[in-house]
Amino acid sequence: MRALLAVVSRAEWRHHRWRHGLALLAVAIGVALAFAVHVINASALDEFGAAVRQVNGQPDVELRAAGRTGFAEAFFARVAAHPAVALASPVVEVDTYAFDARGQRFSLRVVGIDVLAAAPLAPALVPRPRDAADSRGALDDPDALYLNMQAAERLAAERIDRERGASAPATPRTVRLQAGEGAVTLPLRGDITAGGPPLAVMDIAGAQERFDRLGRLSRIDVRLHPGSDRAAVLRELALPADVRAAAADEATQRLSNLSRAYRVNLTVLALVALFTGSFLVFSVLALSVAQRTPQLALLGVLGLAPRERLRLVLVEAALLGIAGSVLGLALGAALAWAALTWLAGDLGSGTFAGVTPALRIDPGSAAMYGALGTLAALAGAWLPSRMAQRLVPAQALKGLGGTWSENASRHGLAAWAAPLLLACGGLLALLPPLGGLPWGAYAAVAALLFGGIAAVPSAVAALLRGVTAPRRAPALVAVERARDERHVATVAVSGVVASLALAVALTVMVASFRDAVSRWLDHVLPADLYARTATRADAAQAVYLSAEVLAAAAAIPGVARIEGTRIVPLEWDASRPAVVLLARPLGDASRTLPLTGALHPRPEGEPADVPGIYVSEAVQVLYGAEPGAYVALPLPNGQRVRAFVQGVWRDYARQHGTVAMDRDAFVALTGDTRVNDLAVWLRDGAALPDVQQQLRELLQQRMPDVEGIEFATPREIRQASLRIFDRSFAVTTWLQAVAVGIGLAGVAASFSAQVWARRREFGLLAHLGFTRAQVLRAVAGEAAVWTAAGALLGTMLGLAVSVVLVHVVNPQSFHWTMDLLVPWLQMAALALGVVAAGTLTAVLAARRAASTEMALAVKDDW
Amino acid sequence: MTMPAADTAPPALLQARGLAKRYGSVAVFADVDLDLAAGEVVAILGESGVGKSTLLNVLAGLDSVSAGSVQVGRTDVTALDAHGSALWRRANVGFVFQAFHVLPYLDVRHNVALPLLLLGRPDAQRVQAMIEAVGLGGLESRKPRELSGGQLQRVAIARALVHRPKLVLADEPTGNLDPDTADQVLDLMLSQVHAEGAACLLVTHSRAAAARCDRALRLSARGLSAVGQG
Repeated sequence: MRALLAVVSRAEWRHHRWRHGLALLAVAIGVALAFAVHVINASALDEFGAAVRQVNGQPDVELRAAGRTGFAEAFFARVAAHPAVALASPVVEVDTYAFDARGQRFSLRVVGIDVLAAAPLAPALVPRPRDAADSRGALDDPDALYLNMQAAERLAAERIDRERGASAPATPRTVRLQAGEGAVTLPLRGDITAGGPPLAVMDIAGAQERFDRLGRLSRIDVRLHPGSDRAAVLRELALPADVRAAAADEATQRLSNLSRAYRVNLTVLALVALFTGSFLVFSVLALSVAQRTPQLALLGVLGLAPRERLRLVLVEAALLGIAGSVLGLALGAALAWAALTWLAGDLGSGTFAGVTPALRIDPGSAAMYGALGTLAALAGAWLPSRMAQRLVPAQALKGLGGTWSENASRHGLAAWAAPLLLACGGLLALLPPLGGLPWGAYAAVAALLFGGIAAVPSAVAALLRGVTAPRRAPALVAVERARDERHVATVAVSGVVASLALAVALTVMVASFRDAVSRWLDHVLPADLYARTATRADAAQAVYLSAEVLAAAAAIPGVARIEGTRIVPLEWDASRPAVVLLARPLGDASRTLPLTGALHPRPEGEPADVPGIYVSEAVQVLYGAEPGAYVALPLPNGQRVRAFVQGVWRDYARQHGTVAMDRDAFVALTGDTRVNDLAVWLRDGAALPDVQQQLRELLQQRMPDVEGIEFATPREIRQASLRIFDRSFAVTTWLQAVAVGIGLAGVAASFSAQVWARRREFGLLAHLGFTRAQVLRAVAGEAAVWTAAGALLGTMLGLAVSVVLVHVVNPQSFHWTMDLLVPWLQMAALALGVVAAGTLTAVLAARRAASTEMALAVKDDW
Repeated sequence: MTMPAADTAPPALLQARGLAKRYGSVAVFADVDLDLAAGEVVAILGESGVGKSTLLNVLAGLDSVSAGSVQVGRTDVTALDAHGSALWRRANVGFVFQAFHVLPYLDVRHNVALPLLLLGRPDAQRVQAMIEAVGLGGLESRKPRELSGGQLQRVAIARALVHRPKLVLADEPTGNLDPDTADQVLDLMLSQVHAEGAACLLVTHSRAAAARCDRALRLSARGLSAVGQG
């Protein structure tokens, strides 16, 4: 085999290096995309996990507040006094904003610790005073702040270089942080070694005082005496209702869950690109086998067994796959590095904001993706290798038997395969998610794609059913060959069907989603002006407006009405990301919320302390909060209340769940009258800039650090939202382009193969008096019929796949439903473009064979 | 050496003068002169590799010549470009090949009709008449894969004559057939050529087949000579 590869295969690769290079590139692109998605996410998760471990340390037990408002610190005394507890470290966590040198806000987590207790558990949090003067009083000053590298860079603060013992002279000596309605300015005294997103450490007492957490703790990290039983200690501590024991790596797991759907969907898209690439491998190897038929036949006559011919082609494919995979892995690593450097690891999803992870490549995953690329190449090589195996050497040497068409129909999919696969696709799409992911839907997409490809011959037949034999010779040749050898069309246009289906499905999905988001924005932005204190729900506890400010704002001339919204993260399930509670005046919820179904009125006689709530689709799916049912709703303090689900609404802004509650009910339950967002309606004739200025002045009087409030009109929010949407889906546009490119390359390779196989036929046509232009017209006509059938099928399949994506994958992955919007013009342009490009490609492939010497191709007989 | 048409024959339809063909420094043939009268059937014999196929290509305007000219009627075939040659060929030449060469995706009717369609003169009656004439009546809708070798060659003969060409070029038309079928096909081809009044050049290795032609010539590196003259 090695000798054969050296002689037969190497000559083939040398002679057709561009063609094989293209197939290799197709495999490489698929592997690169899938591997890059994996590496980016794994690196980001690793980085995040490492940062979490540094911040949390390595306690034996982590006792966490069940809600975001923390728990009473009195519990700490009980924990510290337990005989099994060797060390207990109290912690306060506050998510807030800091202002950088330009006055811009950025998210910052402030961790308040007892340095002496925390040092053995979380050394990365131990403050490192930057000079001797600081070090003397560092541990005594409750306001002293210490930043990690990310925070320092963001602040344009000094980067302390301990090795050089020097620091930049322009280092800010203070940091301004948002706290409640105002800001606090704290002295910056040094740094900490913890990595990850921007983080600041200060004394726990200072954090409690500065951020309104007096008497409250976020968590207690506990180290037990050796040999202690963790479960027994937890039992004996009798955790209060607002405290729970966190699982190991809980935060990392939560983040992994958070990004999983996005990651898996991107990976599946990348694998579809690899799948399209295997069609190109198929086309190239089919061409290679067709051209080498005499050579293979000669080897057969000389004693190369059919099985060895099969193995030769498969080994060639495996080598191509391995080379493509190695290149793909390198490309993928480079892509991942670029994405981690420039997109900070979140691939547009916003999941890992603030993390700039280092590239981490795990050899096991690299081997898996490499194997996947090789398998794709081998799958593509299967039919060509069978053709090589089945050829009859004696006949093939004479140019007889084993024609392209015969091989294609003999080894093609059976006629029953198409309806069976399409029906399977339909049924698989009905399966529920497995492990929170739409595996059934992915299998449905694969079945639909294969079914569609198997249906190409039937589509060609259907397309030509009403067409009578033309009376012009080139048209007759084109139509009748397209009709009679329609099995060959499967070979020729399968890549087009697969890639166009992918492109159409993504186009429809993205258009539907964009349209849904656009209409949703119209619904959820009814006011004339919005003001926002916190861009993240996490920070809404630390940054807010009081009820008095709200009342004063309502009295501004020109303001017709003002609504305040309180935004609070709720810990519904520790293993999942927090659910966001929006408390605002709801009035008639059927008008103020984009409900997906009917509104369920509260049952008569329902006590006032059982609030009515409206849940987003994610809450309905993830927590089983069905409309008309009762749920145990967690409150910010970690306690749960019985709540009645009055309806389900669409919230495209928060993937992990939102609960809307009337503000009065929220205030009655929690006593919290603060708000985070303002929605302002203007009186008729009032000028928006004037009202905005007055509101700004009011806030400036009440809150000196008003630059922390962001103002926006609905138009601005809408534009910004759609811009973010477009950025998030930019990667799908690239995938579409790659897939269509690979599909067209497949058409080129297929038609080259056929034109080669048909050169004697072209010779005959030349004998009969066909001009070269007529031969090219015949090839073009035939290619147009086949690619039209491919485009028709690809479009229909794409529509079917888009239905699966929109109605199954999206709801099961992201818990968003939306209406299907078909951008007909865009799709028609895409389909026509593919037909034109496919036809042109075929004609270009035919030009060589239909040269002035084509007549001599019948020479074998003369 | 000129091989004129027989004294009694009508004026030459085809006149080849001083034809030579070389591939680089390798000469295939040289000094080929040939006259072929309308309605005349001439056999060309010769050893393998002597250039019989190339000669037919040159006469049909499918291959260039290194020297010499080919005149068919008033047309200088060697002066035509590829496009002009194709247009001339479709109207004036019919081909019969050893390996039949019928288009596998066209049925019998359309294979036979192809030359007429190419000329823009569809004529269903003429097509049917030719199919009947070659004994394939009733098989009009069959695809080539449903026909035997003998039947395929009959389709080729019908196609070669359906547009009433002046010249039929046949290369070993019975080479792929068993002796009985070969006899029948040769009978049919010669009778149809005569019936249509076409001239025919028949390349063959069979002395028996050559004996049934009006003349038999042998091609060698030195040109054409009458069989028996060396």
